[in-house]
Amino acid sequence: MRISRRTLATAVAVAALLPLSACGSGNDDSSSGDASGKIEGNITFQTWNLRANFKSYFEGVIADFEQKYPGTHVKWVDQPAEGYADKLSAEAAGGTLPDVVNVSPDLAAPLAKAGLALDLDKDKAAAKYKSEYLPGAWSSTDIPGLPGTWAFPWYLNTGPLFYNKALFKEAGLNPDQPPKTYADLFKDGLQIAEKTDGKVATLANVPAIEDFGRYGVQLVNKEGTGFAFNDAKGVELLTKYKELYDAKALDPQALTATPESAGRKFLTGAVAMNPGSALDLKNFKTQAPSLYKNIGITDQITSTGHVNMYVQNLMVNAQSKQKPAAVAFAHFVTDAKNQMAFAKQVAIFPSTAGSLKDPYFTKEDGTDETRVRVAAAKSLKTAVNYTPVLFSDQMKTALQQEVAKALQGKESPKQALDNAVKACDQLLKQG
Amino acid sequence: MALSSPARRGSRVRRQLPTSPWLFAAPGLLVTAAFVLYPFVSTVVNSFTDRRTLIPGHFVGLANYREMLHDDAFWIALRNSTLYVLGVVPALVVLPLLLALLVQKHIPGIAFFRSAFYTPVVASIVVVGLIWVWLLDERGLVNSLLETLGASPVGFLSDQWLILLSAMTVTVWKGLGYYMIVYLAALANVPRELHEAAAVDGAGAVRRFLSVTVPAVRSTMVLVAALAAVSAFKVFSEVYLMAGPTGGPAGEDTTLVMLVQRSGTGLSGRVGYASAISVVVFVITVVLMLLVLRADRKDETQA
Repeated sequence: MRISRRTLATAVAVAALLPLSACGSGNDDSSSGDASGKIEGNITFQTWNLRANFKSYFEGVIADFEQKYPGTHVKWVDQPAEGYADKLSAEAAGGTLPDVVNVSPDLAAPLAKAGLALDLDKDKAAAKYKSEYLPGAWSSTDIPGLPGTWAFPWYLNTGPLFYNKALFKEAGLNPDQPPKTYADLFKDGLQIAEKTDGKVATLANVPAIEDFGRYGVQLVNKEGTGFAFNDAKGVELLTKYKELYDAKALDPQALTATPESAGRKFLTGAVAMNPGSALDLKNFKTQAPSLYKNIGITDQITSTGHVNMYVQNLMVNAQSKQKPAAVAFAHFVTDAKNQMAFAKQVAIFPSTAGSLKDPYFTKEDGTDETRVRVAAAKSLKTAVNYTPVLFSDQMKTALQQEVAKALQGKESPKQALDNAVKACDQLLKQG
Repeated sequence: MALSSPARRGSRVRRQLPTSPWLFAAPGLLVTAAFVLYPFVSTVVNSFTDRRTLIPGHFVGLANYREMLHDDAFWIALRNSTLYVLGVVPALVVLPLLLALLVQKHIPGIAFFRSAFYTPVVASIVVVGLIWVWLLDERGLVNSLLETLGASPVGFLSDQWLILLSAMTVTVWKGLGYYMIVYLAALANVPRELHEAAAVDGAGAVRRFLSVTVPAVRSTMVLVAALAAVSAFKVFSEVYLMAGPTGGPAGEDTTLVMLVQRSGTGLSGRVGYASAISVVVFVITVVLMLLVLRADRKDETQA
């Protein structure tokens, strides 16, 4: 009888721990075989906040793929915009990362370091597609110290700077002459604040890493081993922002803003300018019709001549059981034909070689929409993805906090940036 | 079974005894082991490693704890969580008691007020938090009211102390109803004769409250204080919603649990370090609990 008790206790313990042993180990190096086998089986495809607006487009692409490769089945899941990194880490840690995953380069980096991203350069089936893409896009997931290509390039996005013409007018500015240079921006910002008695701010967020890049600050040191945005240029930008903040040209809640909350501030007319993408135009139309009537669109302001672009990628899970199908599907979604079709649905830009030469991106037809598109396509040829691939969420927070200290006057801009670089270097070393 | 003639069925009963209680307890034990014990033990183990979200760590001894001592963010978070306890607990011990006295009376329609006061408890904290964020926004309802009254807008959501205060207000507002119910149960046990006797002796309402009601519900107050202190120390949602993911301007409103979330989640989360902070939070909560309960016992011996 004593045995039965002990057996039971053991059974309880084993039963309790067994299901858990599956969790928390997304790191087994089980990258078995390459992607050159037969294209078949079920794969899962995860996108980042695309179902709401592009459901029919993706269903069409998936149907085409399944028709081209009989015996394949693609399950499509979509994740909301906020908290995507947390979702990915939960999936990665739980071993449930889908076969084909929509990532941006800075999300691909930690996944690649953990051995979860398929190296496309080393995979025969994938490497042959390299020439189909713009060289800069193919290398978008290059990680210092980890040679390889960790995801297919997908769509590129660059956004204009939106401004509220009504608020410009109210402040005595010409609504048809938006700021073109940083000097203009700072001057107009101060004027809007002064004329509206500090009630209307010009920007709703503090400078993030891509803003420093756009201002011409060197973000990473030459060796790629540490950050360098505490140079004279960086200090200069932060000093300018401090002037804006003191004059109430920055929204009072800017120090704690997220891109989402900044967008809402612009929607409600609390701030006069906000960077965005063509996706936002649709939003303005439905959520803030009075803003939409007064919307002004202008180019991103840069000191470098290179606008910032955001790159989206499709990563193939290195542990996928259906690697041939996963690679084939990731390529299928990102090939010239499907990217072009996607670009016609919404103002994003294909990363495939030659696509930007299509008349759709070069010929004007007199409408605002086309003007924005042609201008963006032209600027994309020299655009830079300023966000360093190794810049993690923790580093973004560290930078935002130090910037806030400088704006509040608790630290000098130089001190704040020195501290931010130190904190980010520390985080980089720990990674 | 145990009561009915143990002599006759004794042997069978005794043979089943060792296993059957375990069998009855097994479902509960399994759930507890899987969702309480295992995560707890693994958190403690992780706190001695440099584990990251996607990278299994190595044993690093007390390095995480040593790092914490030199981490400004940790001390800021500890300060804020402590302030939260100091700000929220007294309010949550006293206000719900007064509220309970108010709705204890049997007046027609009082049930409506009782449920009204209880509604915030049922509502989702995120929804409630967002509503408060809108109310307290620079251009929200509260500030427009202030402006029509001629005052200048108050930066409820941009000043580090006001953010913390706003979050405390939400916590108190949301907790009132819950502790009110707890007090109502305790008040029902206060003998009416005591009140009558006190009234006969000439005690006014305030005197009766202090000399009759408070001593009668004192142990409930201690319970409320303990519960409120523990949950206030672990506050996350209210502050996160009011202060944003950065934890207020320059992170000055970060609480300990927010720090755990910030450093431990995401693709490059430092699970080891976040676990170490969690362990510290656990230890402090246990100590807090013991202190409150001990205060109660001391009071009793004195009384």
